[in-house]
Amino acid sequence: MKLKRNLTPLAVLAGIFLFVFMAARGMEPKDLLITTLRGFSVGSVTFLVAAGFSLIFGLLDVLNLAQGTLYMIGAYVGWTVYVRPDTFVDIMPMILFLMAGFALRFLWDALSDRLNWSPKTTKIVGWLLVIVAIALGLFIVPRYPIAGWELDNYAQSPISYSFMVEQGTRLPAIHLGFEEIPAPVAVIGLLLISSLLSFGLALIRKKANQQHELSLKKWWTFIVLMVLGLFFLLFNTILTNILFSMSSNWLFLIAVIMAVLSGLGLGALMETTLIQPLYSRPIYQLMLTLGMSTIGVQLVRAIWGMPEFVLSKPALFRGTGGACPATNLADLIEYNCTTVMVLGGRVRVYDEIFLPIVGIIVLVVVWVLLKKSRIGMIIRAGVQDSSMVEMLGINVRRVFTLVFALGAGLAALGGVLAAPSNGLSTGMGEKLLLNALIALAVGGLTSYPGAALGSLLVGLIQQFMIKYGQIGIPIPFTDTLFKPSPAIVPASTMLLMVIVLLILPHGLLGKQE
Amino acid sequence: MENKATNFFTRNKGILIFLLVMLAVPFVTGLFEGSTLTQVWTNQGSFSKFLEGLGIEVFILAIFALSYDLLFGITGLLSFGHTMFFAVAAYLTGISLKTLGLPFWQVLLLIVLTSVIQALLFSVVLPRVRGVTFTMVTLGLASMFHIIVMSSDMINLTGADVGLQGMPTPAFIDPASQRLRFFVIALVLLVITYIAYRRFVASPTGRVCVAIRENESRARMLGYNTTAFKVTVMLISSFTASAAGVLHALYQPIISPTIADLGYTVVGLLIVLIGGIGTLSGSIVGAFVLKLSDYFLRRYLGESASLINGIIYVIFVLFVPYGIVGTLRVRSLRTKEGWKQILSWILPKKAG
Repeated sequence: MKLKRNLTPLAVLAGIFLFVFMAARGMEPKDLLITTLRGFSVGSVTFLVAAGFSLIFGLLDVLNLAQGTLYMIGAYVGWTVYVRPDTFVDIMPMILFLMAGFALRFLWDALSDRLNWSPKTTKIVGWLLVIVAIALGLFIVPRYPIAGWELDNYAQSPISYSFMVEQGTRLPAIHLGFEEIPAPVAVIGLLLISSLLSFGLALIRKKANQQHELSLKKWWTFIVLMVLGLFFLLFNTILTNILFSMSSNWLFLIAVIMAVLSGLGLGALMETTLIQPLYSRPIYQLMLTLGMSTIGVQLVRAIWGMPEFVLSKPALFRGTGGACPATNLADLIEYNCTTVMVLGGRVRVYDEIFLPIVGIIVLVVVWVLLKKSRIGMIIRAGVQDSSMVEMLGINVRRVFTLVFALGAGLAALGGVLAAPSNGLSTGMGEKLLLNALIALAVGGLTSYPGAALGSLLVGLIQQFMIKYGQIGIPIPFTDTLFKPSPAIVPASTMLLMVIVLLILPHGLLGKQE
Repeated sequence: MENKATNFFTRNKGILIFLLVMLAVPFVTGLFEGSTLTQVWTNQGSFSKFLEGLGIEVFILAIFALSYDLLFGITGLLSFGHTMFFAVAAYLTGISLKTLGLPFWQVLLLIVLTSVIQALLFSVVLPRVRGVTFTMVTLGLASMFHIIVMSSDMINLTGADVGLQGMPTPAFIDPASQRLRFFVIALVLLVITYIAYRRFVASPTGRVCVAIRENESRARMLGYNTTAFKVTVMLISSFTASAAGVLHALYQPIISPTIADLGYTVVGLLIVLIGGIGTLSGSIVGAFVLKLSDYFLRRYLGESASLINGIIYVIFVLFVPYGIVGTLRVRSLRTKEGWKQILSWILPKKAG
């Protein structure tokens, strides 16, 4: 019985692998190896997006189409930290102070409970406060000094900065002082904006007979955020100089961490403000995430501009001197080579070795998290039946937010890691979104291992199709070779998805209902 | 028994008034502009001609959105590949007029044929997949078409990412010299589609489609072959979207590959959402709102117009889930109920 149920997926899988390696007969071993490694590379980046996808869809039943945009935002945030650390240091206090006001939400909730206004007055005052906060924001935020780039001026555009970092030269850090408004006014103003906004929203949301507790523990978030914000503000120059003189490896690490944090933050923000009100209307959630992805692309286009640019690899993967390309491990470690020679073919270390390793590490870490930890147990139980978990007294909403943030964070990680090999463009998110969707559909929508398998298949088939585009596929019974152009390659994975879904509507590893 | 003719006119009062108003628009604006009616008739008024052009685009969008509303709003099939019907028809019109040089009636025949084939292609999937999987299969099929259109393998036929251009438009509906005629044809097509769709939704078949949207298992339990109904809807929808595609190909000087993109399906979704999902008339309202707001935003804000459009979309999803027409209907229902309540207080109750 079990074999019979598993037979169809196995047969389909075998068919796919057979197809992939059929035409590989004529390939040289080095080509085969490199193409396979590239497939793993694309597959692991796809997996980082698809893993979040599958977790979110499994637990929340939301097909988060903004996942591709979060991937893109991760890449762009990483680029900013890596290429323009001064901008990063300048912008941090602003974000931290804004967050600090929202961290006082418990205070505003408690305060709004103690106000005995009529419901109508409460609503009106709430909306008024929101409007005042937005007006204040429009006044203060543009006057906050942030060293940045100019989109119209080519010499100071993101492309030029990327190019300079690629060449190893870097403009000295730009330090902007507070000119139009004094620093204390800016700080207090930012706190005021977020506090008013938070208080206004608390008033709008206020329900009768609701009492929030005022506990001292929650002050810590506020204090930590304030201290961090002041730290970034006061030691702006020193921090910028430290970051500028830092080795590119550590800077890249910081960029990756900041990208993941931004993904986590954006994910949590999206879930709590936009997705949560729509849990009773699933199709609207889908449309909302679609809208969010459009807005995200437009925002990125407005901030970083339309043209594509690159994020140069850290020094660890850029060595060319000495015994490069390396033929053994000792050389590789000593000279930090860009490429290694394997079977007589050049393999890029970052793209084809580092990325798959990261993909496997993330796969294992999330797997262990799901299988061994308590929160993972709750997530797995929630995938089975979330209302039952709620019945057991677990705050499933909190777990929903966590999983959404986790998925977004993984996508952002994928974005920043893929940026050095694929470059940054406003279309990168959509491309990867399609890849991840296909991977998910092929592997099974709610299955975590399915996401991994699907991503791997998508990566392998794409890379093999590109290779076939160069060497040509022999068409049976004729002497002609069919050479698909690179532009047509994504169509092959689409075809794979359609075929797999036609045979197995729940994907290769998905459960049948 | 009422007279059937009056019945038809009273039932479709709204759309017929819309037809008359729209027919009057070019002439009235022509008068305001200072050109005579004959000048408008012979396509010489500049402002009225411009308005006609805008109107044609709105009508094409409205027909496209209507077909999407039938599929998504009435039957509940969320397809992300709907634009494929539209784009295939547009490209096929272009290719067969330009490269193959077919006469126009043969082109139309070809379009009808392909629209049926496409609908059947989408329908092959229908009995097996449901819900999100259906959405993704349709997305996959449409993306495949988009990729093929964009690829350089077919550049001689489709023009790749530049778009298909330089195709000869049949002289009798040339959008440059015979714009008024084109305008009237698009308008009449829209009105006919709308009336036919309303008739369809009111028919027993249409009722079953609504039942499928609400609860497919229950509809099947009642003995309806739901797949057959879904295929029917798919056929009608595909045919309508193809008609819109033909109009688009004839009207636009360049058939750009963006119409095969997921983004264009989203435009349809957006129109349906703004107007009101499952309301049919919402599609026409939504097309007007979207096209005109997009036009004016683009004119005064430039590039950031898409951002504003995205924000409008999100606001609609969050706060106006029934769309303009849906919300108005709920309001008018409430008003009617209120009147009934007041009347019941004032009027003496009837005995029995």
